[in-house]
Amino acid sequence: MKAPPFDLVAPTSIEDAVLALAAGADRPGGVAVLAGGQSLLLDLHHRRVRPGLVVDLRRVPGLGAVDVHGSGVRIGALVRHRAFEDPALVPGAVGRVLPVMAEHVGHPPIRELGTFCGSLAWAHPTAEWALLAVTLGAQVTLRSAAGTRTVAAAEFSTGPHATVRGDAELLTAVDLPLPPPGAGAGFVEHRRTEASFAAAAALVVLEVGDVSVRACRIGLAGAADRPVRATRAEAVLTGAPVTAESFAAAARVAAHEDADPRAEPHGPVDHRRQVLSVLVRRALVAALDDTARAGGEEAA
Amino acid sequence: MPDHAGPAGGLTRREDLRLLRGEGRFVADLALPRLLDAAFARSRVAHGVLVDVDVSAARQVPGVLGAWSARDLPDLPVVPPFGQPGVAEGRDWPALADDRVRHVGQPLAVVVAADRYRAEDGADAVRARIDALPPVLTPQDALSGPELFPGHDNVADEAEFGDPVPEEVWASAHLVVEGRYRQQLVSPFSMEARAFLAVPEGEQLHVWVSHQAPHRLRDNIAQALGLAPDAVRVQVPDAGGAFGSKSATFPEYLVVAALARRLGRPVRWIEDRAEAFTAHTHGRGQDQRTRLALDADGRFLAFELDVLANLGAYPHTGVVVPQQTALMATGAYATPHVHSRMRCVVTTTTPTAPYRGAGRPEAAYAVERTVELAARRLGVDPVQLRRRNFLAPEAFPYDTPTGRRYDSGEYARALERCVEALALDAWRAEQRRRRDDPAARPLGIGFCTYVERSGGDGPMLREFGSVEALADGTFVARCGTSSTGQGHETALAQVVADVLGVDLERIRYVAADTGEVASGVGSFGSRSMQMGGAALHLAAGELVDLARRRAAQRASEGGALVPVAGVTWTTGRLDLGGGQGIDVGDLVAATGPLRADHEFRQDAAFPFGSYAAVVEVDVELGDVEVLRLVAVDDYGVVVNPVLTRGQTVGSIVQGLGQVLYEEVPYAADGRPSLDAGLFDYLVPTLSEVPPMTLEETVTPDPGNPLGAKGAGEAGCIGVPPAVVNAVADALELDDPGTLQMPLTPAVVWRAAAGAAS
Ligand SMILES: Cc1cc2nc3c(=O)[nH]c(=O)nc-3n(C[C@H](O)[C@H](O)[C@H](O)COP(=O)(O)OP(=O)(O)OC[C@H]3O[C@@H](n4cnc5c(N)ncnc54)[C@H](O)[C@@H]3O)c2cc1C
Repeated sequence: MKAPPFDLVAPTSIEDAVLALAAGADRPGGVAVLAGGQSLLLDLHHRRVRPGLVVDLRRVPGLGAVDVHGSGVRIGALVRHRAFEDPALVPGAVGRVLPVMAEHVGHPPIRELGTFCGSLAWAHPTAEWALLAVTLGAQVTLRSAAGTRTVAAAEFSTGPHATVRGDAELLTAVDLPLPPPGAGAGFVEHRRTEASFAAAAALVVLEVGDVSVRACRIGLAGAADRPVRATRAEAVLTGAPVTAESFAAAARVAAHEDADPRAEPHGPVDHRRQVLSVLVRRALVAALDDTARAGGEEAA
Repeated sequence: MPDHAGPAGGLTRREDLRLLRGEGRFVADLALPRLLDAAFARSRVAHGVLVDVDVSAARQVPGVLGAWSARDLPDLPVVPPFGQPGVAEGRDWPALADDRVRHVGQPLAVVVAADRYRAEDGADAVRARIDALPPVLTPQDALSGPELFPGHDNVADEAEFGDPVPEEVWASAHLVVEGRYRQQLVSPFSMEARAFLAVPEGEQLHVWVSHQAPHRLRDNIAQALGLAPDAVRVQVPDAGGAFGSKSATFPEYLVVAALARRLGRPVRWIEDRAEAFTAHTHGRGQDQRTRLALDADGRFLAFELDVLANLGAYPHTGVVVPQQTALMATGAYATPHVHSRMRCVVTTTTPTAPYRGAGRPEAAYAVERTVELAARRLGVDPVQLRRRNFLAPEAFPYDTPTGRRYDSGEYARALERCVEALALDAWRAEQRRRRDDPAARPLGIGFCTYVERSGGDGPMLREFGSVEALADGTFVARCGTSSTGQGHETALAQVVADVLGVDLERIRYVAADTGEVASGVGSFGSRSMQMGGAALHLAAGELVDLARRRAAQRASEGGALVPVAGVTWTTGRLDLGGGQGIDVGDLVAATGPLRADHEFRQDAAFPFGSYAAVVEVDVELGDVEVLRLVAVDDYGVVVNPVLTRGQTVGSIVQGLGQVLYEEVPYAADGRPSLDAGLFDYLVPTLSEVPPMTLEETVTPDPGNPLGAKGAGEAGCIGVPPAVVNAVADALELDDPGTLQMPLTPAVVWRAAAGAAS
């Protein structure tokens, strides 16, 4: 568990950072960005990656901000997990669910150092922030010496620890669209110990009318090799009455039609589907409860 | 007066200040000039013919001093066999793999470099050609599969204990229940993995190692390298845990010791955590079958236990484990017929070795799961059923049908205390309330009454202790045990301070150094206080007598006639009567060295206790939450309750690890699925520790001068059966076969679904 040899640079501007990435991309083993280091260091020590160059991002100014604007929030590359423990950071349903999700990301020392954007770049198949980004339909901004592009979160990860990001591209920010006022959010995770990654998780954003579901987003982690939307379940639920039966029906569709889990040690497929079904149902109930909270907030 | 309250006093550990300040000195902290680091290239294939190991590229890596495979080191010894002769015969454990590889993680080559980074770069560059053979991963497969060591059966050892139960006992019984249990393979998981440093000093070899049995290791290394025993000095500095897994002589030790001599430079090998998952030993690994016959009153008529144990790739210290399980098949009960059989087989997993409890957790699990199954079938309270069958306090010493002599025990008292501390009636009421409420999560209560064995067996039932008085008024206590974190500097020195009536600060504790301590067996099997403490206690008493005799003699030489009986020892001073006296330091200064050695011998002791667990089950997900644990342990007389408490808590948490989280999961290709390390191998941490109540009863050991039995392993003996029994109770589960450890959500969900349908 010792890293193989690599060179290290610590640029102090974003321009220098992308130039360093461009230079490093041609090296044998490529180049890696060091953000919070909570995953990169492990990968290095296990020799799962062998970059010739590591570009330390931490001295680049201007990457540590969370900007809330009208319909969304922009999260810079050096915003730590811990920032999201603050319930006042972001308004509305997302603001209320962020601290619940943040609590599930590792443990306090990890959250102190690890970054939101680093989590997306690392692309663990059940990472909470990737689930959030996919569920809300976030945009990921990538910058290289050649220019800037944005990618939809749903297209960003292509599998475990794989993304469309090129070696020379820096993930500079993630834009989360915020659901309209009145929406509720619910997040439920299944994990075996407090320090474990999620085995599975469900995130729901719900808008309800007088008697029926007006709109919903259902995101699943642990249902595939990356977080996914449960689009069939969303279709079943949209317009359906707000009842325990329709929640259960949507949950079943999410687990049995949208999800396509693979067997893992201690995680056979039938159990994973069962867990997903229960998590979606519970997340729907939590989201419904949260819409009540949303009503309260708006009245106040 | 000494500054602690004697045997009842709860001294906190005097080593902690050093350790908490980061001033501990572990093997990896020993900075020596010209020190080299070794790293091993290891097999990623479970089983195969080793065609070729190419170390040429490794030798080219910058900073690498050398790289060797077995072919390059033809004089490398094999690992010295352990235990009964014959078991290892034809199944040599080479220090570096030669013609075959037999488990993932087996060392293929060693690389020595200026530091561990370069050494790993070198190990990375080693290439091996292995023609893969099918892996053999379970004991059952080993029974039916081809011979792993051609010409030698896969069953490396077998034994039976007790007389076979007559057929008519089973046939005429009111009820016979049968159980099948699996003890999964687990990683012993000490915070510090193995660490070994060999320093050549002329013709001598000085070894620093994190180890439980330094004297045995010294003899093994000397013999393997063809040296005289006193040419090797083995010393254990601060150590970060062992749990049974650091008492063997490992292949890596022999390689590093041989290279240090060959290179004439200090060479160390500091195993890392990821490496240890496959390179170090596993614990547990048994398939068990049980059968219990009862009469209509619920009296046990006969119990039978069959153990099929996995030794892994090479039979070594793992052989003693299933034997221990079989010997302890009687449990706490007056069952007239008990018969046990054990067979152990070689496979292609990492070798197994004792792991905290070493056979007794497995035995207690088999017995106590079966007892609660019988209670469920009979429809009687499991507490009642146990009470009806316990050995009575008058029964001791008791010769069990399986060949153990239990020294003393008050099993019913421990269970009574457990029931009280739990407030069982209140939990039963809550359980009934939930059973009537379809929305409530089911709650279950499970028990385990265990008997275990401490001290050792056969030639290990001895320990060395020595106490010396120095001219400066201080004392040196030397002991043959070897602390790997248990706090011997406090607890064992305290024993001496108590006898001498002096402050603990005046005792310097020296152990785990074959250059300083004449002999020793070591620390395992909960034996350090019982055996080492007793040796020191007696040696300290003998030192007092020696000092009194010498003081009397000296006074007599000075003309006064002082009978020995007229000399009293108080707090390090010899009082000669009539206002005359001499400090023991001055006596030493005047008369020369003063020291008493004691070789203590005693039969094994049998600590016992009762555990209870209350669990809640989320049947939809399969999650188990432990709401409460109660542990009542009887360690005999406790010398330092702060330390035994720490041992109990730590052991309980390891028990939770086995029952709920831990397993080395082998994939069909023979590789453990642990690529993500501690994300895959889950160990409980503080967040997973449930509320617990610890209590004790005290039944002194009649054969021990301190009245002490062993402490340290009880928690991981009592917890697993109590928790699984509680889950079975919550689910009202009659089929024990579905509920196997670890109780992952998938396992519990399946069991719950089966119970509901
Ligand atoms: C014990 C433990 C528990 C954990 N539990 C969880 C958990 O429950 N849930 C969870 O989601 N995560 C968990 N993590 C991972 C943690 O969230 C990491 O912090 C996160 O995945 C990576 O963020 P980082 O800033 O530390 O990135 P780094 O470790 O610095 O980098 C990770 C990877 O992303 C790349 N990268 C990072 N930032 C950028 C960027 N701006 N542009 C391009 N590439 C970039 C790096 O090159 C590297 O490949 C855990 C980690 C540990 C050690």
